[in-house]
Amino acid sequence: MAVMAKKGKREVPAMSTSSLPDIVFMLLFFFMAATTMREVDPLVSVQMPEANEITELDKKNLVNIWMGKPLGAAKGEDALKIQLNDQTREVEDIRDFISATTVTKGVGPNDIVVNLRVDEGATVGKLTAVKQELRKAEALNISYAARAMENK
Amino acid sequence: MAKTKKKAGDINSSSMADIAFLLLIFFLVTTTMDVDTGMKRTLPPWIDPTEQQNDVDVNERNVLKVNVSRSGAIMVGTDEYRPNDLRRSGEHSRLSREVYYFLVDPNRSDKEAKTIDGGTYNISKGLVSLKADDETEYKVYLKVQDELTHAFNLYRDDIAREVYGMAYDELSELEAQNIRKAVRMQISEAEPNDQTKK
Repeated sequence: MAVMAKKGKREVPAMSTSSLPDIVFMLLFFFMAATTMREVDPLVSVQMPEANEITELDKKNLVNIWMGKPLGAAKGEDALKIQLNDQTREVEDIRDFISATTVTKGVGPNDIVVNLRVDEGATVGKLTAVKQELRKAEALNISYAARAMENK
Repeated sequence: MAKTKKKAGDINSSSMADIAFLLLIFFLVTTTMDVDTGMKRTLPPWIDPTEQQNDVDVNERNVLKVNVSRSGAIMVGTDEYRPNDLRRSGEHSRLSREVYYFLVDPNRSDKEAKTIDGGTYNISKGLVSLKADDETEYKVYLKVQDELTHAFNLYRDDIAREVYGMAYDELSELEAQNIRKAVRMQISEAEPNDQTKK
């Protein structure tokens, strides 16, 4: 008792930070494993619709086609644009895009799945035009990109 | 007594955390977490409109016509559905229930005997013909597709229980494939040319 009273306040030893790098590295590896690189920057805004009956898509051989309003478009403007890779293109360019993609991937048009990322405000007519082009390009496997439905 | 070798001092590792943080933040910014999800479909092969077309002969009886108007009103056969009928109350929506009954009821769509994994089962020949107006909102269109898929999945589930005694999503990949092959998701869409002709 007498000893403690002499010192009055005891200093708290500094917290050891030697395990901090380990923790951060662990987080780093988690993120490296759980995420994928963002391949392209979006040029059109796509708000994906919600659906229940959706399946996970295999990233391999997945080809994305975006369709939506261009980013930064004026409010009244509702011209839908199609984005292939990192350029906005026209519907007619889809066929060339598919054939170019199959060449670089080294697979046939039947082996790829075209993921249609269409804005929920788009019209069916535009989508049909895209699908017709895909049929001409013989890329018949498609998927309608959708989000899982919240509160069913 | 001078030492010949000097002991190397410890490397200060306090900056290790900073380096790791930097890397972590880099990966957080450049990567995305989202998994691609979607509804898979197979388009019919392209038919040159100038060529003579031989339409596949399908009995009118086995076709359920689903029309979606630009305002989002839905006609199933001769019944009118409101957009609200796409919303699920409980497990199913009115539309998915209707399509499911169409597939199940032998009075509404013909059955045909198909061999699944050695056994013979009666599978509906039912086909859904979907037609949407060009001005229909994609959101509505996909919801209709969603409910149609749901109906077919329910039917597949029934057949899976009949064949394997298990729900469809509990089957092994091979068994599920057998079911998929026998119970086709027959959602056909009208050729857009037909719409302009009208």
